[in-house]
Amino acid sequence: MNTIKKISPHIILLIYVIVVLFPFVFVLFSSLKQSNIEIAESPFGFPKSFSFQNYIDAWVKAKINVYFLNSVYLATTSALTGVLLSAATAYALVRMKFVKVSKAIYQFVLIGMLIPGNVLFIAQYILVMNMGILNTHWALYLPYTAGALPISVLLIAAFMKSIPNELEEAAIVDGLGAFKLFYKIILPLTLPALVTVFIVNFLGSWNEYLLANFFISKDELKTLPTGMVGFRDAFQTNYALISTGIVYSVTPVLILYAFLQEKIIEGVTAGSVKG
Amino acid sequence: MKQTLRNPWVYVIMVVPTLVLYSLFFIYPMATSSYYAFTDWNGLSDYSFIGLQNFIDVFSDKDFLHAIRNNMLFIVFSVFVQVPLIIIFALLIASVKRLQRLYKTTVFIPSILSTSVIGILWGFVLHPNIGPINKMLSFFGIEPVFWLADSKWALPSVLIVNAWQWMGFYIVLILAAILALPKEMNEAAEIDGASGFQRAWYLTVPLIKPIISVVVMLSIAGAMRVVDIVLVMTKGGPVGATEVMASYLVNEALGVNPNYGLGTAISLIIFVFALLLTAIYQRTFGRTED
Repeated sequence: MNTIKKISPHIILLIYVIVVLFPFVFVLFSSLKQSNIEIAESPFGFPKSFSFQNYIDAWVKAKINVYFLNSVYLATTSALTGVLLSAATAYALVRMKFVKVSKAIYQFVLIGMLIPGNVLFIAQYILVMNMGILNTHWALYLPYTAGALPISVLLIAAFMKSIPNELEEAAIVDGLGAFKLFYKIILPLTLPALVTVFIVNFLGSWNEYLLANFFISKDELKTLPTGMVGFRDAFQTNYALISTGIVYSVTPVLILYAFLQEKIIEGVTAGSVKG
Repeated sequence: MKQTLRNPWVYVIMVVPTLVLYSLFFIYPMATSSYYAFTDWNGLSDYSFIGLQNFIDVFSDKDFLHAIRNNMLFIVFSVFVQVPLIIIFALLIASVKRLQRLYKTTVFIPSILSTSVIGILWGFVLHPNIGPINKMLSFFGIEPVFWLADSKWALPSVLIVNAWQWMGFYIVLILAAILALPKEMNEAAEIDGASGFQRAWYLTVPLIKPIISVVVMLSIAGAMRVVDIVLVMTKGGPVGATEVMASYLVNEALGVNPNYGLGTAISLIIFVFALLLTAIYQRTFGRTED
């Protein structure tokens, strides 16, 4: 009786885990199969012989390499810019002595968290069009960076508040200016929060679909989420190849997750609850 | 000494870039949205102010009303199907000692992946001919179901995929709240002979009500602006079966004949709907008795 009690939650949870993982395993197997026929014959079976040809084909012929690099490049630059800008702003708001102005600015920035992203979508489209940057990477880089600012400022400011004053005072006595104080003392101390914010912003841009779909139509500028959809529509009949594309776009995130699960979970959930 | 931290130039340099970027991409679009919504602007330079015409047009379009209905189904499904399951799974994960971390990290995975890739992935899993779901069903003698092409099945399929993607995220949120509760109460109740179910229902659930309330509100907000998964899996079809407000917006405003005035009107409607629903929820069920 007792063992049944102990085991039954595990059985239910393991079923759930299988439901979560099953599509990934299926896609991984399919990516190593040679054709739709082999997939259709035994969807759950292990590939007969490992066929890595799909990986070569998808990478070069289907331009996954282009989408992949665009995603890496856009997600990294916008996350990095977002972190640096918000760290600087958070520092000015929290540590510098302009209390009244800072309070007002802080409130002003937080308004952004009330506005759901896709409400602004059309207006941002018009803006980007008027700026003449539609169909360039700027059209994604700028909104991605801007979109991350409110939550990033909030999280980093909360962290910076907890840094004791003494450290700062000692540094000032030693003759450090406000800039040096920022990047020599405060920034290193804030590193844990910066990493969290960077990851959240990176994932946000890496996965973003709506803006990427409408602001970029040139194939060579597309990111993985939109490139993958185009890829699917183009190779609709070759599921082994599409699976390979999915594996390419999912793997980097899973590797990142394997190393930084706790950080990622903490960041992603903190971002939503406060927002 | 405090002079260092009162240097206005440093302050300005640190604050202004953020403010400029933020104002340009948040505040300014919000302002122009509220303006364009009352015009018939279609991207060309000439446009006129047409009052509430966009709103009247939208609300008299059957397709849009259908899209609203679908958004409501998303809400109903997430609040009445997903949330109870989320709570049960969170309680189950909290109740085990072994493998707890594995469960937690695994269920979270779908929520860090791109919705578009998930849409493609599930499109394949649900494929009528070579997808594993139909293969499994054929084992029981069930004819292939056209999950995404049959208007009867398309919406349920999208709802389930959406749930598959987001449930783990909320489970982890609730799990964190459960694990943060003091252990003593639970132990005392156990000594008093309360069963696992009784402890969960009478002790844990009431204590985590505030976070459940947050999860419900996040679900409502998410259901109101759901769009990526619909665009990738069905594009709103077949014949509008899975159309939601945001996909209607995309299809109408940025379609063959762009109509930005109408588009911004719809985005304002979505915004107001989301605000109203969360406000109503907070006033009625979301109240935590203190």
